[in-house]
Amino acid sequence: MSPRPPSGIGRNFQEPDGPSPAHKSKLPGQLRRAQKKLVDAELSPPSAADGGGETAAPRRRRVAIRHASDPEETIRRWFTSKRWKPFPFQQEAWDAYRAGRSGLIHASTGTGKTYAAWLGPVLEWLRDYPSTRRQKMAAPLRVLWITPLRALAADTEAALRAPVEALGLPWTVETRTGDTAQKVRARQRERLPTALVTTPESLSLLLTRADAARLFDDLRCVVVDEWHELLATKRGTQTELALARLRRLVPGLRVWGLSATLGNLDVAREALLGHDDGGVPNLGQLIRGAVPKELIVDAVIPETIDRFPWAGQIGLTLLPRVLAAVGEARTALVFTNTRSTSEIWYQAMIASGVPWADRIALHHGSLDRARRERVEQGIRSGALRCVVCTSSLDLGVDFTPVDRVLQIGSPKGVARLVQRAGRSGHRPGAVSRVTCVPTHALELVDIAAVRDALAAGAIESRPPVERPLDLLAQHAVTIALGGGFRADELYAEVRTTRAYRALTPDEWQWVLDFITHGGETLRAYPEYAKVIVEDGVYRVTSRMVALRHRLSIGTIVSESALTVRYLTGATLGTVEESFLARLSPKDRFTFAGKVLEFVRIRDMTAWVRKAKSATGAVPRWSGARMPLSPELALAVRVKLDEARRGRYDAPEMEAVRPILELQAEWSRLPAPDQLLIERTRTREGYHLFFYPVEGRLVHEGMAALFAYRIAQIAPISFTLAANDYGFELLSPERPPLEEALEAGLLSPTHLFNDIPASLNAAELARRQFREIARVAGLIFTGYPGGPRTVKQLQASSTLLYDVFAKYDPDNLLLHQAHREVLERQLEQSRLGRTLERLAAAERLVVDTERPTPLAFPLLVDRAREQVSSEKFADRVRRLVQPLELAAGRGTSRRQSLSSARRPARR
Amino acid sequence: MPVDVVADVRGERLHLLPERAVWWDRAATLVVADLHWGKAATFRAAGIAIPPGATADDLRRLDSALRRTAARRLIVLGDLFHARAGRRSDATLAELRRWRTGAADIEILLVRGNHDRRAGDPPAELGIACVDPPVDAPPFALHHEARPEPGRYTLAGHVHPGVTLRGAGRQRERLPCFVVGPTRMILPAFGSFTGTAELDDEAEDRRFVIADDEVLAVG
Repeated sequence: MSPRPPSGIGRNFQEPDGPSPAHKSKLPGQLRRAQKKLVDAELSPPSAADGGGETAAPRRRRVAIRHASDPEETIRRWFTSKRWKPFPFQQEAWDAYRAGRSGLIHASTGTGKTYAAWLGPVLEWLRDYPSTRRQKMAAPLRVLWITPLRALAADTEAALRAPVEALGLPWTVETRTGDTAQKVRARQRERLPTALVTTPESLSLLLTRADAARLFDDLRCVVVDEWHELLATKRGTQTELALARLRRLVPGLRVWGLSATLGNLDVAREALLGHDDGGVPNLGQLIRGAVPKELIVDAVIPETIDRFPWAGQIGLTLLPRVLAAVGEARTALVFTNTRSTSEIWYQAMIASGVPWADRIALHHGSLDRARRERVEQGIRSGALRCVVCTSSLDLGVDFTPVDRVLQIGSPKGVARLVQRAGRSGHRPGAVSRVTCVPTHALELVDIAAVRDALAAGAIESRPPVERPLDLLAQHAVTIALGGGFRADELYAEVRTTRAYRALTPDEWQWVLDFITHGGETLRAYPEYAKVIVEDGVYRVTSRMVALRHRLSIGTIVSESALTVRYLTGATLGTVEESFLARLSPKDRFTFAGKVLEFVRIRDMTAWVRKAKSATGAVPRWSGARMPLSPELALAVRVKLDEARRGRYDAPEMEAVRPILELQAEWSRLPAPDQLLIERTRTREGYHLFFYPVEGRLVHEGMAALFAYRIAQIAPISFTLAANDYGFELLSPERPPLEEALEAGLLSPTHLFNDIPASLNAAELARRQFREIARVAGLIFTGYPGGPRTVKQLQASSTLLYDVFAKYDPDNLLLHQAHREVLERQLEQSRLGRTLERLAAAERLVVDTERPTPLAFPLLVDRAREQVSSEKFADRVRRLVQPLELAAGRGTSRRQSLSSARRPARR
Repeated sequence: MPVDVVADVRGERLHLLPERAVWWDRAATLVVADLHWGKAATFRAAGIAIPPGATADDLRRLDSALRRTAARRLIVLGDLFHARAGRRSDATLAELRRWRTGAADIEILLVRGNHDRRAGDPPAELGIACVDPPVDAPPFALHHEARPEPGRYTLAGHVHPGVTLRGAGRQRERLPCFVVGPTRMILPAFGSFTGTAELDDEAEDRRFVIADDEVLAVG
């Protein structure tokens, strides 16, 4: 059966210029061009698609600003009307734009970056068309404004529109994202606005249009907002590819990026501006924004240390102090590191009985968009006193009323804390303050360390992704849809991106093979056709392939999530399927700040009703758990060393002193040139704890590596746990640690062999494959709206991984999975540097009677990996043993069924 | 050397084979479920690049079970073909034809399952008899989706049962399994390009997992 989208849904997603040749012939390019000319010449009334309600014409408003003969004077008048004065860096950006240059503007949040980039094109228009104010039709697309979050688009649109309306420009400013209404999309299909605010995914969708080249005829400038957010992700790579396309389509295009300050601004600029055909990075201006605001970091410190449970979990103990801090503020943002934590704190705060409990709100990425928007509006209007939120409020949006920011849990990184602190006093030059609230005793060390790192000016880098082939395959199909391509031309084009500057002809050929016949040329997959080649031009001709590709464009992969809805109809948001699958009817859980009773799952929706009881489980989202950044990790090691030498100079360190002294008493506190290894035994088995203090990601990789290396000496299975301070190897038998250390456990050599070997066992690559499979189009998650899923086309990524590993082991997507795990998950180079540091370090092996304060958090961490060198069946047999004993009791119950195991071989 | 488990069910000996099949020795019959032939081809036809190879491997495994047991009859408890596109795939059909020629003396019976109803019956040249469930084969009733039949013991497939084993140190492993209860047995999915599903725990059920070439009881 041929899967078809439910009526009304497909139209949402299908762009008008389908790939069918028949369709194309109905609307020849000539005619369309002619139509456009008519429109441009204002001879034609708005097209039929504009009918009803809104029109594409600019809004008629009273022109607030009288134009001067000098456009810059006009802009200055607008600034004056807002009681602002242009910053020197804004003037610098406008001059650079006027000179035809591209560049990157970096500054902390809320310092006027938006207008630095936006008014360049506006000034250009004023110069080019000194008297077009009476124009009836809006100017065609001139500025593309890329934003990382759909949630930011509306605010950005409003900010861009303000000067346009005040100056009475014949410009339209509109948004186009996955959330854009069907009516607006239909109108935009006919004619794009003068300035389009959109996401990288929606931009890629525009590139799938067969008339993509024509859309950008009048484009002058692309602005990439919050470039630091995109830079280190595949969405950033997707943006690089789209920019390369646009530079090709629009000679002389200017590209401007807006970024927070980063440790690697040169790389950020190179990725944004790309290379020329000779492989030389395009020149561009790096403009530093207004002087950073003053930043104060303090902490809510527990008053008495004996209120700590011995293992250091503080939990909600500090709630009254947090409430007091919020109570002093007009509007406070309470940031948490995970969505689960935000739910827990929100519940506790509204249950606290403070008089303003009804003016506390919750905001995180799983909540329904309408709910989130209401909360954002509540912050802007000052109606809310407090919002408990996650990174969902890290970006963009101007929340001027916010005058207090709290951070629950470790700040994890310097730049991140700066960003969050910037949400208060969101005005150029105002002082930012952030108050950290530890949820765990050791986080007091992180807080003291982050202050040191800030004072030292240590700020994190964000390394871009290097030539991900899954995304390149996706992009090639996108361009095949968007008018088709010739292999050598697109190769040259993608090589002008920083991400693919080193793409080899072989890799490119592999991508072409993959999209045309599945496997390599000599091992073509039967029946497979996605992209076909006609006269050397790669095109998509199948409507189904086109539709599925458009639906699956995008690189953000979240675990398949289900909509959570009341039986009465209201939508609350989305929760990951893995959590919901474990629920039985009548189970309670907390979500969107409400206690809900689970009813059933149907049509990709979890139906719920309000629970009568007030307690419920909190979903554990697998969402990003930030590791400690390298900069902060270094500062933490220094702090621990100070403690070792008895120096406790920050109030946070003084507070955590009893715990660190207990650690020193039961075991040791490591110096920066020492590696502490603890060994202990519990009912669970034999534990080895290592404390390199390098952040969770490095520890995860190191744990897998060490488990693999020890298992080379004797067959042994480990379960692994890692956190920001160290990692644990747990085994049923005593591991040969001394022997392993002797044999080079810590050696940085053979990493290239040992890491992939340990990876295979650890199955990290298998998990990583999920994202790759989806980006490369191997997993199709179905049509929007859900009920009409394509069951016969569904397979789990782990199953796919196994099939590829077995039947096409040279598939480059598998290699990519391994490479991504090495580079991005395990941070191989950081791991290598850490091993070099540790190899030279003094080893302290301490046998402890029980888990120490540093060890205990690892024990309670449930994220476990497994590594084994045993024969698979032996391992299963050992897993089975205790179960078999239990099962043995049940056998006699059933007379009709007896089982006899033949003796195992050997 | 594969290691089997033998279950006495209503006076008959059923061998649970690590080839993901059941050998009913007295009737010289091999029983399998959920082959999902042509699943990868279905994906490929839809523009999703899945490498070929699983079908060939599955046929080898089927051959090994048939040879080892010297079965004269093969019963498929539903979902022989994954989908119509897979049933029409030339490459898959050629593979199956070759295999069928090599196993020409085996009588094959398909008890239709939900996928078969959509995919259609296999081409006549493959010599596979097709019937709707239930099939009465005393003391057994043959089904695709397990249903109780009075006076009979049901053999069925459909759910692709699997078990997640947890051991010391919170180790985990997910494996396909046989689920054996007092009134019915559910077979693992035979096709290797298929997933597994965890069944609700029923006190009466025993599970037998397949670990490489061994079948092991897990309670």
